[in-house]
Amino acid sequence: MSRGVMLMSGGIDSPVALDLLLRQGHELLAVHLDNRPFTDDSPLEKIVDHLALLRERYRQPIPLYVVPHGPTQVTLMRSTDRHVGCVLCRRFMWRSAERIAEREGASYLATGEALGQVASQTLSNMRTATAAVRLPIVRPLIGLDKQEIEGHAKRLGTYAISTRPGVCCQAVPDRPATRSDLIQIGGEEAKLDVDQIVDDCVRKAIVL
Amino acid sequence: MSSPTPYRSLRLCSSGGGFEALPERNVQADLPEVRRLLEAEGIRVVDARVLLIAATSPEVTISRSGRILFKTQDESAARSAFERIARIARFEQTLRPAVGAGPRG
Repeated sequence: MSRGVMLMSGGIDSPVALDLLLRQGHELLAVHLDNRPFTDDSPLEKIVDHLALLRERYRQPIPLYVVPHGPTQVTLMRSTDRHVGCVLCRRFMWRSAERIAEREGASYLATGEALGQVASQTLSNMRTATAAVRLPIVRPLIGLDKQEIEGHAKRLGTYAISTRPGVCCQAVPDRPATRSDLIQIGGEEAKLDVDQIVDDCVRKAIVL
Repeated sequence: MSSPTPYRSLRLCSSGGGFEALPERNVQADLPEVRRLLEAEGIRVVDARVLLIAATSPEVTISRSGRILFKTQDESAARSAFERIARIARFEQTLRPAVGAGPRG
Protein backbone atom coordinates (compact mmCIF):
# COMPACT_ATOMS: atom_id res chain seq x y z
CA MET A 1 0.00 0.00 0.00
CA SER A 2 1.14 3.55 -0.65
CA ARG A 3 2.45 6.12 1.77
CA GLY A 4 0.56 9.32 2.47
CA VAL A 5 0.63 12.48 4.54
CA MET A 6 -2.47 13.23 6.63
CA LEU A 7 -3.19 16.81 7.71
CA MET A 8 -4.35 16.78 11.33
CA SER A 9 -6.18 19.72 12.95
CA GLY A 10 -7.28 18.36 16.32
CA GLY A 11 -10.91 18.42 15.18
CA ILE A 12 -13.41 15.61 14.81
CA ASP A 13 -12.85 14.84 11.14
CA SER A 14 -9.13 14.24 10.61
CA PRO A 15 -8.73 11.25 12.97
CA VAL A 16 -11.73 9.60 11.29
CA ALA A 17 -10.18 10.12 7.85
CA LEU A 18 -6.88 8.76 9.16
CA ASP A 19 -8.66 5.72 10.58
CA LEU A 20 -10.30 4.96 7.23
CA LEU A 21 -6.94 5.03 5.44
CA LEU A 22 -5.12 3.02 8.10
CA ARG A 23 -7.89 0.42 7.96
CA GLN A 24 -7.11 -0.09 4.27
CA GLY A 25 -3.47 -0.74 5.09
CA HIS A 26 -1.97 2.59 4.07
CA GLU A 27 1.18 3.86 5.75
CA LEU A 28 0.62 7.39 7.02
CA LEU A 29 2.60 10.31 8.39
CA ALA A 30 0.73 13.09 10.18
CA VAL A 31 1.33 16.81 9.72
CA HIS A 32 -0.06 19.52 11.99
CA LEU A 33 0.20 23.19 11.07
CA ASP A 34 0.61 24.75 14.48
CA ASN A 35 -1.42 27.97 14.61
CA ARG A 36 -0.18 29.25 17.94
CA PRO A 37 -0.39 32.06 19.08
CA PHE A 38 -3.69 32.28 17.15
CA THR A 39 -4.89 29.22 19.07
CA ASP A 40 -3.90 27.69 22.38
CA ASP A 41 -2.10 24.40 23.09
CA SER A 42 -5.28 22.35 22.77
CA PRO A 43 -5.12 21.36 19.06
CA LEU A 44 -1.66 19.87 19.44
CA GLU A 45 -2.59 18.13 22.69
CA LYS A 46 -5.65 16.62 21.01
CA ILE A 47 -3.62 15.37 18.04
CA VAL A 48 -1.06 13.76 20.33
CA ASP A 49 -3.93 11.91 22.02
CA HIS A 50 -5.60 10.99 18.70
CA LEU A 51 -2.36 9.51 17.43
CA ALA A 52 -1.67 7.61 20.63
CA LEU A 53 -5.01 5.88 20.16
CA LEU A 54 -4.50 5.14 16.46
CA ARG A 55 -0.87 4.05 16.85
CA GLU A 56 -1.98 1.52 19.43
CA ARG A 57 -4.87 0.32 17.30
CA TYR A 58 -2.90 -0.18 14.09
CA ARG A 59 0.59 -0.86 15.49
CA GLN A 60 1.99 1.87 13.22
CA PRO A 61 4.46 4.56 14.31
CA ILE A 62 2.58 7.42 12.48
CA PRO A 63 5.22 10.12 13.01
CA LEU A 64 3.77 13.60 13.65
CA TYR A 65 5.38 16.64 12.01
CA VAL A 66 4.50 19.85 13.85
CA VAL A 67 5.05 22.78 11.51
CA PRO A 68 4.94 26.34 12.93
CA HIS A 69 2.20 28.21 11.06
CA GLY A 70 1.63 31.21 13.36
CA PRO A 71 4.34 33.35 11.71
CA THR A 72 2.74 32.66 8.32
CA GLN A 73 -0.61 33.83 9.70
CA VAL A 74 1.00 37.07 10.89
CA THR A 75 2.46 37.66 7.42
CA LEU A 76 -0.89 36.95 5.75
CA MET A 77 -2.80 39.21 8.13
CA ARG A 78 -0.36 42.06 7.65
CA SER A 79 0.04 41.86 3.90
CA THR A 80 -3.01 40.33 2.22
CA ASP A 81 -6.77 40.78 1.81
CA ARG A 82 -8.42 39.48 5.01
CA HIS A 83 -11.49 38.34 3.10
CA VAL A 84 -9.55 35.45 1.48
CA GLY A 85 -7.37 34.78 4.52
CA CYS A 86 -8.66 31.23 5.06
CA VAL A 87 -7.93 30.22 1.45
CA LEU A 88 -4.42 31.67 1.60
CA CYS A 89 -3.83 29.96 4.94
CA ARG A 90 -4.91 26.62 3.48
CA ARG A 91 -2.62 27.04 0.46
CA PHE A 92 0.36 27.47 2.77
CA MET A 93 -0.71 24.47 4.82
CA TRP A 94 -0.88 22.32 1.68
CA ARG A 95 2.50 23.54 0.49
CA SER A 96 4.18 22.68 3.79
CA ALA A 97 2.53 19.24 3.82
CA GLU A 98 3.63 18.61 0.24
CA ARG A 99 7.20 19.59 1.05
CA ILE A 100 7.22 17.05 3.90
CA ALA A 101 5.60 14.41 1.67
CA GLU A 102 8.34 14.87 -0.92
CA ARG A 103 11.02 14.61 1.74
CA GLU A 104 9.43 11.43 3.16
CA GLY A 105 8.70 9.74 -0.16
CA ALA A 106 4.93 9.95 0.28
CA SER A 107 2.82 9.86 -2.87
CA TYR A 108 -0.35 11.63 -1.75
CA LEU A 109 -1.81 14.10 0.74
CA ALA A 110 -4.95 13.39 2.76
CA THR A 111 -7.40 15.49 4.73
CA GLY A 112 -10.57 15.18 6.76
CA GLU A 113 -12.45 17.70 4.63
CA ALA A 114 -16.11 17.11 3.91
CA LEU A 115 -18.08 19.27 1.54
CA GLY A 116 -19.51 22.53 2.81
CA GLN A 117 -18.88 22.22 6.55
CA VAL A 118 -16.98 25.50 6.89
CA ALA A 119 -15.96 28.36 4.59
CA SER A 120 -12.72 26.67 3.54
CA GLN A 121 -14.63 23.58 2.42
CA THR A 122 -16.77 24.97 -0.37
CA LEU A 123 -15.91 23.45 -3.75
CA SER A 124 -14.65 26.81 -4.96
CA ASN A 125 -12.30 27.30 -2.02
CA MET A 126 -11.10 23.69 -1.98
CA ARG A 127 -10.18 23.97 -5.65
CA THR A 128 -8.35 27.26 -5.14
CA ALA A 129 -6.54 26.01 -2.05
CA THR A 130 -5.34 22.75 -3.51
CA ALA A 131 -4.19 24.31 -6.78
CA ALA A 132 -1.10 25.26 -4.77
CA VAL A 133 0.17 21.67 -4.79
CA ARG A 134 0.84 18.93 -7.34
CA LEU A 135 0.41 15.74 -5.32
CA PRO A 136 -2.99 14.02 -5.42
CA ILE A 137 -5.29 14.76 -2.49
CA VAL A 138 -7.34 12.02 -0.86
CA ARG A 139 -10.49 13.01 1.06
CA PRO A 140 -11.96 9.88 2.64
CA LEU A 141 -14.87 11.83 4.23
CA ILE A 142 -15.91 13.92 1.25
CA GLY A 143 -19.39 12.44 0.85
CA LEU A 144 -20.22 11.90 4.51
CA ASP A 145 -22.41 14.20 6.56
CA LYS A 146 -21.52 15.52 9.98
CA GLN A 147 -23.66 12.96 11.80
CA GLU A 148 -21.95 10.03 10.07
CA ILE A 149 -18.50 11.42 10.83
CA GLU A 150 -19.37 12.05 14.49
CA GLY A 151 -20.80 8.55 14.83
CA HIS A 152 -17.58 7.07 13.47
CA ALA A 153 -15.49 9.28 15.81
CA LYS A 154 -17.52 8.15 18.82
CA ARG A 155 -17.04 4.47 17.95
CA LEU A 156 -13.34 5.09 17.39
CA GLY A 157 -12.92 6.91 20.70
CA THR A 158 -11.57 10.15 19.23
CA TYR A 159 -14.76 12.21 19.59
CA ALA A 160 -14.30 12.88 23.31
CA ILE A 161 -10.74 14.06 22.64
CA SER A 162 -11.73 16.33 19.74
CA THR A 163 -14.53 18.02 21.66
CA ARG A 164 -12.47 19.03 24.68
CA PRO A 165 -12.48 22.82 25.20
CA GLY A 166 -10.06 24.86 23.13
CA VAL A 167 -9.60 28.32 21.68
CA CYS A 168 -10.79 28.67 18.07
CA CYS A 169 -8.41 30.07 15.45
CA GLN A 170 -8.26 33.83 16.03
CA ALA A 171 -6.97 34.46 12.51
CA VAL A 172 -10.33 33.63 10.88
CA PRO A 173 -11.77 36.85 9.41
CA ASP A 174 -15.25 38.05 10.41
CA ARG A 175 -16.61 37.26 6.95
CA PRO A 176 -14.44 34.64 5.25
CA ALA A 177 -14.90 34.28 1.49
CA THR A 178 -16.87 31.24 0.41
CA ARG A 179 -15.79 31.70 -3.21
CA SER A 180 -12.33 32.50 -4.51
CA ASP A 181 -10.48 32.44 -7.80
CA LEU A 182 -6.88 31.85 -8.71
CA ILE A 183 -6.39 35.25 -10.32
CA GLN A 184 -7.30 37.05 -7.09
CA ILE A 185 -5.32 34.60 -4.95
CA GLY A 186 -2.32 34.89 -7.27
CA GLY A 187 -2.45 38.66 -6.87
CA GLU A 188 -2.41 38.37 -3.11
CA GLU A 189 0.45 35.87 -3.10
CA ALA A 190 2.46 38.10 -5.44
CA LYS A 191 2.89 40.36 -2.39
CA LEU A 192 4.72 37.55 -0.55
CA ASP A 193 7.87 35.48 -0.88
CA VAL A 194 5.97 32.21 -0.95
CA ASP A 195 8.94 29.83 -1.21
CA GLN A 196 10.79 31.55 1.60
CA ILE A 197 7.76 31.35 3.90
CA VAL A 198 7.32 27.63 3.24
CA ASP A 199 11.07 26.97 3.59
CA ASP A 200 11.12 28.70 6.98
CA CYS A 201 8.12 26.75 8.27
CA VAL A 202 9.30 23.33 7.14
CA ARG A 203 12.84 23.92 8.38
CA LYS A 204 11.49 24.64 11.86
CA ALA A 205 9.20 21.60 11.96
CA ILE A 206 9.68 19.12 14.76
CA VAL A 207 8.77 15.43 14.74
CA LEU A 208 6.91 13.87 17.67
CA MET B 1 -16.31 45.04 35.49
CA SER B 2 -14.85 47.96 37.37
CA SER B 3 -13.36 49.91 34.48
CA PRO B 4 -14.70 52.98 32.70
CA THR B 5 -14.79 51.06 29.42
CA PRO B 6 -17.71 49.72 27.40
CA TYR B 7 -17.33 46.24 28.89
CA ARG B 8 -19.74 44.82 31.43
CA SER B 9 -18.94 41.14 31.70
CA LEU B 10 -16.83 38.22 30.59
CA ARG B 11 -18.29 35.12 29.02
CA LEU B 12 -16.96 31.72 28.03
CA CYS B 13 -16.14 31.72 24.30
CA SER B 14 -18.11 29.41 21.99
CA SER B 15 -15.51 26.63 21.99
CA GLY B 16 -15.13 26.76 25.77
CA GLY B 17 -11.37 27.25 25.66
CA GLY B 18 -11.23 30.83 26.91
CA PHE B 19 -13.12 33.85 28.17
CA GLU B 20 -14.00 36.81 26.02
CA ALA B 21 -14.96 40.41 26.73
CA LEU B 22 -17.15 42.10 24.15
CA PRO B 23 -17.75 45.86 24.20
CA GLU B 24 -21.37 46.90 24.70
CA ARG B 25 -21.19 49.44 21.90
CA ASN B 26 -19.33 49.46 18.59
CA VAL B 27 -15.80 50.66 19.12
CA GLN B 28 -12.53 50.67 17.26
CA ALA B 29 -9.34 49.99 19.15
CA ASP B 30 -6.30 52.09 18.35
CA LEU B 31 -4.08 49.01 18.05
CA PRO B 32 -0.78 50.81 17.31
CA GLU B 33 -1.23 52.84 20.49
CA VAL B 34 -2.31 49.78 22.51
CA ARG B 35 0.78 47.96 21.28
CA ARG B 36 3.01 50.88 22.24
CA LEU B 37 1.56 51.03 25.75
CA LEU B 38 1.87 47.29 26.30
CA GLU B 39 5.44 47.16 25.04
CA ALA B 40 6.33 50.13 27.26
CA GLU B 41 5.40 47.87 30.18
CA GLY B 42 7.75 45.17 28.87
CA ILE B 43 4.96 42.98 27.46
CA ARG B 44 5.87 41.18 24.22
CA VAL B 45 3.24 41.75 21.54
CA VAL B 46 2.56 39.94 18.25
CA ASP B 47 1.13 42.55 15.88
CA ALA B 48 -1.04 41.01 13.16
CA ARG B 49 -2.41 44.42 12.07
CA VAL B 50 -6.07 43.61 12.75
CA LEU B 51 -5.34 42.12 16.16
CA LEU B 52 -2.66 42.05 18.81
CA ILE B 53 -1.60 39.07 20.89
CA ALA B 54 -0.06 40.02 24.21
CA ALA B 55 2.28 37.44 25.76
CA THR B 56 0.89 37.85 29.25
CA SER B 57 -0.27 35.07 31.51
CA PRO B 58 -2.88 34.19 30.38
CA GLU B 59 -2.19 35.18 26.76
CA VAL B 60 -4.58 37.89 25.55
CA THR B 61 -5.84 38.68 22.03
CA ILE B 62 -7.12 42.21 21.40
CA SER B 63 -9.08 42.72 18.17
CA ARG B 64 -9.61 45.98 16.35
CA SER B 65 -13.33 45.64 17.09
CA GLY B 66 -12.56 45.69 20.81
CA ARG B 67 -13.14 41.97 21.39
CA ILE B 68 -10.67 40.65 23.93
CA LEU B 69 -9.96 36.94 24.34
CA PHE B 70 -8.22 35.46 27.37
CA LYS B 71 -6.68 32.03 26.78
CA THR B 72 -7.64 30.54 30.08
CA GLN B 73 -10.57 28.54 31.40
CA ASP B 74 -10.17 30.18 34.81
CA GLU B 75 -12.64 33.07 35.02
CA SER B 76 -10.89 34.82 37.89
CA ALA B 77 -7.57 34.73 35.99
CA ALA B 78 -9.32 36.20 32.95
CA ARG B 79 -10.91 38.92 35.10
CA SER B 80 -7.56 39.88 36.63
CA ALA B 81 -5.95 39.94 33.20
CA PHE B 82 -8.74 42.19 31.92
CA GLU B 83 -8.24 44.70 34.73
CA ARG B 84 -4.49 44.76 34.10
CA ILE B 85 -4.74 45.09 30.31
CA ALA B 86 -7.46 47.76 30.51
CA ARG B 87 -5.28 49.80 32.86
CA ILE B 88 -2.03 49.46 30.90
CA ALA B 89 -3.63 49.94 27.49
CA ARG B 90 -5.76 52.88 28.75
CA PHE B 91 -8.93 51.59 27.16
CA GLU B 92 -10.77 54.77 28.15
CA GLN B 93 -8.55 56.53 25.58
CA THR B 94 -7.60 53.83 23.08
CA LEU B 95 -11.10 52.46 22.45
CA ARG B 96 -12.98 54.97 20.35
CA PRO B 97 -16.55 54.89 19.08
CA ALA B 98 -16.67 53.32 15.64
CA VAL B 99 -18.28 55.26 12.79
CA GLY B 100 -22.04 54.99 13.23
CA ALA B 101 -21.50 53.62 16.71
CA GLY B 102 -24.41 52.46 18.77
CA PRO B 103 -25.29 49.54 20.98
CA ARG B 104 -24.26 46.15 19.63
CA GLY B 105 -27.16 44.47 17.92
